[in-house]
Amino acid sequence: MKKAIYLLAFIVLFLTACNIDKKRSNKNDLQSEETYKQKEGIQHHSSTELEKRSIESTTKKTATLEKIINSYLDLKNALVEDDAKKAAVAGKMMLSAFSSFEMLTLTEKQRKEYLEIAEDSKVHADHIMKSPIDHQREHFDVLSVNLDDLIALVGTEKHLYQIFCPMYNNGKGAIWISETEEIRNPYYGSKMLTCGKVQKEIK
Amino acid sequence: MVLLIVFVGIQLIPTKRNQSDEVLSSDILLTYIVPEDVQSILKTSCCDCHSNNTNYPWYNKIQPFSWILENHIEQGKAELNFSDFGSYSRRRQKSILKSMASQIEKGEMPLSSYTLIHRDAKIFENEKLILINWINNLRDSL
Repeated sequence: MKKAIYLLAFIVLFLTACNIDKKRSNKNDLQSEETYKQKEGIQHHSSTELEKRSIESTTKKTATLEKIINSYLDLKNALVEDDAKKAAVAGKMMLSAFSSFEMLTLTEKQRKEYLEIAEDSKVHADHIMKSPIDHQREHFDVLSVNLDDLIALVGTEKHLYQIFCPMYNNGKGAIWISETEEIRNPYYGSKMLTCGKVQKEIK
Repeated sequence: MVLLIVFVGIQLIPTKRNQSDEVLSSDILLTYIVPEDVQSILKTSCCDCHSNNTNYPWYNKIQPFSWILENHIEQGKAELNFSDFGSYSRRRQKSILKSMASQIEKGEMPLSSYTLIHRDAKIFENEKLILINWINNLRDSL
């Protein structure tokens, strides 16, 4: 009886500690986001000078988008293989790829849209880290559209393909971006590996 | 005896109250057209965790229920807050609407732990249809 009481008290105290820690880490996330936004504001003033240099820094610009694209392709391939754990790892990579993207290389106009794409994509990447595969695929659907928009915005030196799966989303369909023309469907994996059609070449 | 002391002790820990009479300009009701029947479902089944105004039950004042509720509300609002909906980017709104439709269809939302206690919050099949139709139409219009 006494042991049970002590155990209960310990559990309650433990839960309190967990709650406090969670709040602290949430606060830290908020603070680092604030700092990031402040830094972004400072960079804004020197953008004209940077635009002049942007032609020279094209290689640098596309190199940075490359990290995001690579993490996306890893995610895509993990889903093709029906591997939720691998997909979660790719989600984490994508989160860090977006966080380390060099926004200085963008024009002012590009920056606004980039931030919107990044903000939304990070939420999807975060969810992918902790969801079962069917949810991961739902997030991947939106990420594919986001990446397509991002490539249209910033450009890439990578040779990619936009492929359409007509059956996903209750027949509404969904796209994915691939490094190869070969059809390997990330939405259905082994269940329907070769369902899809190349719609566009990105180069 | 120790149990009683612990129980009384944890009551002293303060908790936030998620309540506000203010209707922000970013509230979904002020941003988009939300039909009455949809509003009713949102208020009964969603807004306790997904808005700035929670309708607290009597046991909210007692720990550890207070923590559990606060935890749910914090997580819920971080994912989606109808009071802030209009301030999200269009892209973010579309993403959220997609998730909403999917989770409601699958019965993942509202949480079963919530509907167990709040019986009226359970969303029945016909209500699901109404809600999902509205969500999809709104999403397509954005």
